[in-house]
Amino acid sequence: MTDRLTYTELAVLMKKGAGLTVDPRDMEKRPGSAFDEFGLDSLGLLGIVGVLENRHGRALPADADRCKTPQEFLDLVNTTLMTGA
Amino acid sequence: MKTRKARRTVVTGIGVVAPNGTNTEAFWKRTHEGISVLDRVTREGCEQLPLRVAGEVRGFEAAELIEERFIVQTDRFTHFAMAAADIALDDARLGRADYEDSPFDIGVVTAAGSGGGEFGQRELQRLWGQGSTYVGPYQSIAWFYAASTGQISIRGGFKGPCAVVASDEAGGLDALAHAARSIRRGTEAVVVGAAEAPLAPYSVVCQLGYEDLSTRDDPARAYRPFTSDACGFVPAEGGAMLVVEEEQSARRRGARIRAEVAGHAATFTGAARWEESREGLAQAIIGALREADCAPDEIDVVFADALGVPAADSAEALAIADALGAHGRQVPVTAPKSGIGRAYCGAPVLDVAAAVLSMENALIPPTPNVFDVCHDLDVVTGQARPAELRTALVLSRGLMGSNAAMVLRRPTDIQV
Amino acid sequence: MTRRVGVTGVGVVAPGGIGAPAFWDLLANGRTATRGITLFDPAGFRSRIAAECDFDPAAHGLDADQVAKSDRYVQFAMVAAREALGDAGLDPEKVDPWRMGVSLGTAVGGTTRLEHDYVAVSGSGARWDVDHRPAGPHLERAFSPSSLASAVAEQVGAHGPVQTVSTGCTSGLDAIGYAFHSIEEGRVDVCIAGASDSPITPITVACFDAIKATSANNDDPEHASRPFDSRRDGFVMGEGGAVLVLEELEHARARGATVYCEIAGYATFGNAYHMTGLTPEGLEMAEAINRALDHARMDGSQIDYVNAHGSGTKQNDRHETAAVKRALGAHAYDVSMSSIKSMVGHSLGAIGAIEIAACVLALVHQTVPPTANYESPDPECDLDYVPRTARPLKLRSVLSVGSGFGGFQSAVALTRTGGRTP
Repeated sequence: MTDRLTYTELAVLMKKGAGLTVDPRDMEKRPGSAFDEFGLDSLGLLGIVGVLENRHGRALPADADRCKTPQEFLDLVNTTLMTGA
Repeated sequence: MKTRKARRTVVTGIGVVAPNGTNTEAFWKRTHEGISVLDRVTREGCEQLPLRVAGEVRGFEAAELIEERFIVQTDRFTHFAMAAADIALDDARLGRADYEDSPFDIGVVTAAGSGGGEFGQRELQRLWGQGSTYVGPYQSIAWFYAASTGQISIRGGFKGPCAVVASDEAGGLDALAHAARSIRRGTEAVVVGAAEAPLAPYSVVCQLGYEDLSTRDDPARAYRPFTSDACGFVPAEGGAMLVVEEEQSARRRGARIRAEVAGHAATFTGAARWEESREGLAQAIIGALREADCAPDEIDVVFADALGVPAADSAEALAIADALGAHGRQVPVTAPKSGIGRAYCGAPVLDVAAAVLSMENALIPPTPNVFDVCHDLDVVTGQARPAELRTALVLSRGLMGSNAAMVLRRPTDIQV
Repeated sequence: MTRRVGVTGVGVVAPGGIGAPAFWDLLANGRTATRGITLFDPAGFRSRIAAECDFDPAAHGLDADQVAKSDRYVQFAMVAAREALGDAGLDPEKVDPWRMGVSLGTAVGGTTRLEHDYVAVSGSGARWDVDHRPAGPHLERAFSPSSLASAVAEQVGAHGPVQTVSTGCTSGLDAIGYAFHSIEEGRVDVCIAGASDSPITPITVACFDAIKATSANNDDPEHASRPFDSRRDGFVMGEGGAVLVLEELEHARARGATVYCEIAGYATFGNAYHMTGLTPEGLEMAEAINRALDHARMDGSQIDYVNAHGSGTKQNDRHETAAVKRALGAHAYDVSMSSIKSMVGHSLGAIGAIEIAACVLALVHQTVPPTANYESPDPECDLDYVPRTARPLKLRSVLSVGSGFGGFQSAVALTRTGGRTP
């Protein structure tokens, strides 16, 4: 349970779950940009949270789907998965 | 209601995604050439089912027509509708600049016969195969009947009256009538029509319950309306979206006026009660003629419902005679859908598209796979028939008992 | 001359009470019908609560053939239609069948049976290439949403325009709105109008779980639906149906019928914003309210009660509060506004019709139903939500509003006969 979520994996999840082609390097370069700017809507983020919860067999914090930016989301997910592992 | 309506509805854009063409030009070419594209069902997971022949939309590359995200977030029926709406808006040359300041003036109306069946089956499989937490977030917006209207409204920025009628096949005409009434009440334009994608495996299982579904395996013989060999109907995917506008508003922006939506009426005579549909369809025709202020002998061509069930075909032939009198036995009747199948709500909208194109090209498309008509009707078979066409009548019936008729007029005959 | 549209009959199948009198009793007493789900085993679901109907179709007069052919939501509509016709004293045999229509809404249609049979044909989700043989009879009716209006049309003998309407959660308002237009514009004299849904099934509960739209207050189901309250955490799924007999006013008078009230105005718009999201300003819902009032030739200040969409999601209740303020101006602070979803849950496409039935009954009883469970105000929802207890009030004109997935925003204005400016 130590595999950290990376920008590359996030980009894969965005592609698979919401049909968005996002360059992970672009996200990494401007991690504070809103998900909106990458085309991800609230439903898309909910879907990514669901996939991660199923994959890790545990719930993410209730506010995970309210993260506004990729950076905020990665921080929250990785903190949760590291501390709780 | 004999008085001329103050606000008239005209067709200014046609967008088609059909089994015989994924754009309007290809559709019309194959339609007037009378080419049948009915073929074996090849959609994944359908091979083992007793439905053998259908009208599949092949060569539709959704990614070339709509943004990638919609391919994941919505069902195939919405992909078709969004693509067709785009084609229609392009055809009408109606762009954001035309309505940016008046978004409430443009609405969206679709008819839906079954919703997002393929998407729904995938999510049902996740739920029952893996567990409830595997159901994705887009299920909530992709499966339901309103998906296409909602997505087209959002994508185009159309805030006008948005509607969805789900009154099976006749619903395609009801949607157009709904749009015309909306225009009469003050809306300037409506993106309207229907597209369906009923060939997911579980959707096919559901349709096997229709006793009028043809399960023959010879594509040339599976759907032969108005013949003694009629053995039911073949389902199809696809459909058409139109742009309809208030006539003056269309003229003001210099739009090309393709036809007038002149009259419509709908009736109900009970599910699968085909004999009773004779009176229902006749009443619908009479009502549509009355609204259009049109005499029976002004009808130059009839696009028939053509269910392909002997009792239903007979009822339709009699209804045409009942409503049009002696003219009913002389007027050319066609059913191009025998070459593409019945796309449920999409079917009569495709017929409306074909009717407008027929009037423009002075050419009545034939009824593919039909040569030996056994009813007292002048069915156009074999080849397209050249004819000066001013007024067309489109008929549709639903498997749940609805009957509808629509009168369309060529623009040269619309008095300004 | 304008044709006016009267309501002459009401039928309701709602959680906590079958029949309009039982339904009104629940509302007038502020009881809630929300509880733990019993229609299936909800273990493992995020939201395990709902407002269910204790419904026995045979006890309400449906025969074995009607029950076999129709999905649960169609049965609701048939029972409600029967009650509405009886209430209206309308003998369908004495109406010109070609001048009688049906307009019924549903958001998710026959999903109960569709899901049930899906499990059988797929080996519980094991295969994509399903086996048709285990499918039950009449599955095509569950597949085709038009079977709803069709079944009721056969029941009442209607031969006029028969339409199922499916605009998500505004389906009920829109079905009644279209019926209103069809009478006003002269296509029919009588229209059987309403809506029905039975969405308490694993797939629909799971799909709202996935977007966290429903309440997860599983430990306190009776108090889980909390519209406008600061502690609201989503809607509670409901089910049910309501059917009205709408009649051209002179047609109703000629046969000596009691006219409860008139449908005076209707409008609908799209927000063109997001399939599930709502704009904070509520511009499009406000536009729907304004146009419905224009249609009714009424001014916002004439509205005595707003029957809110009030789903109990964070977003909806703020959106709606903003929209009502935008449309009614200062009068928004004076008007009574409540959400019956606090008591009967949110039955998706059906609820709009159930809410209009509640408006009709409110006008009849001159009483505003309350917002149950409302205790803790939200600073962003600062109107008078009629907390917990029904309010006797002189009511002449009322408004029912709704929002639906897909961006639909609809409003219907009702008035006691003579309640609008001539």
